[in-house]
Amino acid sequence: MTDANPSPRPGQLGSIDPLPIGTVAELTDEITDNVTRVIVGHDEAVEHVVTTILARGHVLLDDVPGVGKTMLARSIARSIDCSFRRVQFTPDLLPSDITGVNVFNQKTREFEFQAGPIFANIVLGDEINRAPPKTQSALLEAMEERQVTVDGDTRPLPDPFVVIATQNAVEPNRTYELPFAEIDRFMKKLTLGYPTPEEESEMLGRTVGHHPIESLEAVTDLESIVRARETVANVAVEPPIRQYASELANYTRDHAIIGASPRGTIALLRAAQARAVLDGREYVIPDDVQYEATQVLGHRIKVGTDTAADDGTTVAQDALERVRIP
Amino acid sequence: MSTRRESRSSVVSTDALGARFDGATGVSLFRGLALSGILLLTASYITVLREITITVGGTRSLYLIALVMLAAATVLARTIRPRVALAVGVGIGALGYWYYLTATGHDLGALLSQFDSFLSDTVTLATGMTLYQMIEVNVWALGFVPAPVFLSWYLAMRKRYTLAVIPGGLALLFLVLTTDATTGVTLVGVVGGITAVGFGELDHRDGSVAQADVLAIMFAVIVFLSMTVTLVPGGAASPTVLVEDEPTTLDGAVDGDPDRSTISGSVDLSPEVHFTVVSDEPSYWRTGIYDRYTGDSWVRSGPEGAYDDTGLDSPPGEPQTNRQTITLQTDTNVLPVAPQPTAVDGELTDSLEVTDHGQPMPTERLIEGDTYNVESAIVDADPAELNEAGTDYDEDIEAYYLQTPEDLSEDFEARTADIVEEAGAETPYEKAAAIEQYFQSEYEYSLDVDRPDGNVANDFLLEMDEGYCVYFATAMTQMLRAEEVPARYVTGYTSGQQVDDNEHVVRGLDAHAWVEVYFPEHGWVAFEPTPSGERDAEHTDRLEDAREDGEDGIDIEESEDVPADGIDDERETIPNESEDLLDDLVDGNESTDNDSAQPGPGGEAGDEQELGPERGDGIGSDGLGDLDGDDPGDETDSDGESAAIPVAPGDILVGLAVFIGLAAGAHRSGVPALVGREVRRYWHGRRVDPVTDVERAFDRLEYVLARRHRPRRRGESPRQYLEAIDRFGSLDPRVERVIEIHERAHYGGDVDRAAADEAIDLVSEIAREQAPLVGRFFE
Repeated sequence: MTDANPSPRPGQLGSIDPLPIGTVAELTDEITDNVTRVIVGHDEAVEHVVTTILARGHVLLDDVPGVGKTMLARSIARSIDCSFRRVQFTPDLLPSDITGVNVFNQKTREFEFQAGPIFANIVLGDEINRAPPKTQSALLEAMEERQVTVDGDTRPLPDPFVVIATQNAVEPNRTYELPFAEIDRFMKKLTLGYPTPEEESEMLGRTVGHHPIESLEAVTDLESIVRARETVANVAVEPPIRQYASELANYTRDHAIIGASPRGTIALLRAAQARAVLDGREYVIPDDVQYEATQVLGHRIKVGTDTAADDGTTVAQDALERVRIP
Repeated sequence: MSTRRESRSSVVSTDALGARFDGATGVSLFRGLALSGILLLTASYITVLREITITVGGTRSLYLIALVMLAAATVLARTIRPRVALAVGVGIGALGYWYYLTATGHDLGALLSQFDSFLSDTVTLATGMTLYQMIEVNVWALGFVPAPVFLSWYLAMRKRYTLAVIPGGLALLFLVLTTDATTGVTLVGVVGGITAVGFGELDHRDGSVAQADVLAIMFAVIVFLSMTVTLVPGGAASPTVLVEDEPTTLDGAVDGDPDRSTISGSVDLSPEVHFTVVSDEPSYWRTGIYDRYTGDSWVRSGPEGAYDDTGLDSPPGEPQTNRQTITLQTDTNVLPVAPQPTAVDGELTDSLEVTDHGQPMPTERLIEGDTYNVESAIVDADPAELNEAGTDYDEDIEAYYLQTPEDLSEDFEARTADIVEEAGAETPYEKAAAIEQYFQSEYEYSLDVDRPDGNVANDFLLEMDEGYCVYFATAMTQMLRAEEVPARYVTGYTSGQQVDDNEHVVRGLDAHAWVEVYFPEHGWVAFEPTPSGERDAEHTDRLEDAREDGEDGIDIEESEDVPADGIDDERETIPNESEDLLDDLVDGNESTDNDSAQPGPGGEAGDEQELGPERGDGIGSDGLGDLDGDDPGDETDSDGESAAIPVAPGDILVGLAVFIGLAAGAHRSGVPALVGREVRRYWHGRRVDPVTDVERAFDRLEYVLARRHRPRRRGESPRQYLEAIDRFGSLDPRVERVIEIHERAHYGGDVDRAAADEAIDLVSEIAREQAPLVGRFFE
């Protein structure tokens, strides 16, 4: 792993040669298998993260400390031969600590750009809710624009560029909760949950000696990922599916204070495309949309205290039950 | 009735046995029997039409026309040739149509120009709309009757018995399709038709008595089958009895069918939660409005339009607005709203219709959790204003809301006049208040009643002294109409159990029926003839019992800790009831609701009930009853004789007669719509482009699977559906294949001709194997 930007900037749009669908499905299986050598019992979450990467999204892992959020992100990054940086968010972290700064080089008598940790293919933002909003927004802006601007110079981020952020669900009073507008930029929000007793004992057996992540090998390279992403982007989304997605979003808007945004609908369809590829299909079916909907839409929905639903996930689930599949 | 007829036929055939050796007598006996068969058939559809004319007037004309036609046919049978007679028959039919058109305000030119709309009306009727829903149904009945009577009798007189069955059979079939012919009447008609064909044949061939025995056995088999065999395996397999099923719960009785509310006998109370309401004001929740009274049921006549096209009318003036949000807690096909609704808002507005009477109705079944908002106008007029409203009614109002059946007795009118007079009531408002007060004070509340055989309103007023809301509302509506006051019968729910300041939980036992009276310049005002105190007590007891027994579905989170009679000292939960002076004294809270209504007309003890102003009124019509699973109109429990009915060899017409009987057996079950789907199920139709073909094939498959297992739910993808029904047994790989092709076509937008044909063939194969009889040939 190198820390600069090793990947050649991909060529013009459409010039990428997409991988065959079967190959992409195999590729994901390989990554998932590799990761599950380290992570026990979260197969579904692993798959969600991989599909997010293929669907050009970012992912937020939200759970109590110690369930393996960071380990999950690291294992996935290690499984792909790409640049990976980790940023530990703390209350005193500054935006320039993420993006990088211009440093005056005495020898050349010129300012040189010292790239920050964000210049990597996979960026792990650990405990993102511990940093103040100013710093959070530096990361979040980069996520949306896929570029950073330092001292007036705009610099593109590597491609692919994926942020895997984690946040702790405990100690909410010592944290800066992500604003609703920013949380919307994550394609999915996942929770891991505690392992079952069997899983936990299995996990203990693997990790008490040498941690298996140390021996984790990359199973794929950057080029395959870029080509796989192209495959996903080419998956057909026919009018009935588009209509279904927008009706789901509409339902959440009618049944919550803030419903899923149009950005959410786009994310939903992209995630469904990736899901279709995993299933070896070149078109999206309603099951793909349903499979992704709670993770993609749940965190974008804000419910009031007087609504029947407890949280956004419930609203999303209600939508799946009530909206007619076209 | 048919049983009686049938036994008579058997007796006669036994008589014929005695006449075995007397050929001449036998033959003329057969002719007599064949002719009486035709008469029986004729009588069957005239009976149906008579029920209509009794409701809306014209019975004498109907009899007269039928008799004239019989006489004319008898005479002409000796003088004119069949072709001429056919022309005459067609001419008479055309004349009937012309009569109908002119009477409904179309000129002669409409005869041709509107023939297509005539046809489409006829198709609408034939696909299950009851004739009672036609506005000018009496004229229609008079125009309809002459042609079949004339033709069938003419042919019978000329000994063409089999042909003679056709016109009568078609007439009966049409009435079966409109769902107006009951199973019993249809059975009589079918037996008549078979009698005519069978004995006619014997008459022609000089047949022996042994053959007559075969006929008798056939009758017995048909009657037996019709009473025991159910059409749908796996449907609610209650055998059809000649008396139709009745809903056994109050909500089923009140809300069973959106277009027709039949008055039942004893009913139970269902404590199941039906919906919850958050509203500005408590109100009755209305689900149905009915205008036409047949003596034992209420029918909604007139057309309905899509909500988006017609919208809802506001009552005159500037009434106060009452906003409600209603959340269904159970599946239903009615839409409860507080009267008088002026706007409905929610996802379901696309699938809403509005009846001619201003009641919104869903076109598809609503499911638990559906939510919608309603804006209603509270007609808030005080008695003084209503007293001055006058009697200057619109023509439309008079046409719809003054109907009484012909068999309403003079005693009924006299008794009504007495009651009104005793109270010194003169204006429509005073009359309504007087009648309401009369029922409240003189009658008892009871859910355990024997339904009278004749006109329910008649018997309730003259011979009974207790009943439940349906009886009170029916009688009061009819009494008002007898006094020339436009009134209508409405069904729905009382406000329910109050669980929070503005939240109510409404259960099956809150189902209710009451009366709305029209006042010019004010609109419809609700009146409550049912004695409320007793009603409340009985209904509260039922809920308490249910809670003690730990029944399911009787409480939701909000209502669990609330006593059965609602939040303390807030009697508003049961709006309208009781506004007796006595009640007011006992229960001071109530009077706050009724202040505006207090000054009683004619000094009538100051108790009008006027639910209208304070709480509007209720709900719509149909459907909640279905939940109880005892609604005879449910698609799944069609009844009837489908299975192997022996067909007399060589006589297709017997087949026709049996077919009519078959349709009859299922007539309550929405069969006409079913027939359309049935046909589509086996026959794909013309092939177009592959994608459309696959979609159509998939629809057929869904229908087949829905019949075998259950329908696909709204948010269930085909795959999930497949997985779910897979649990019922081993899954057919062909089904999987069709679903795969459908996915490819519908969601992948890409399917070729070969795959489309494969899907069509697979579905046809599956459908045929599902067919009860034909299927055996495909296995």
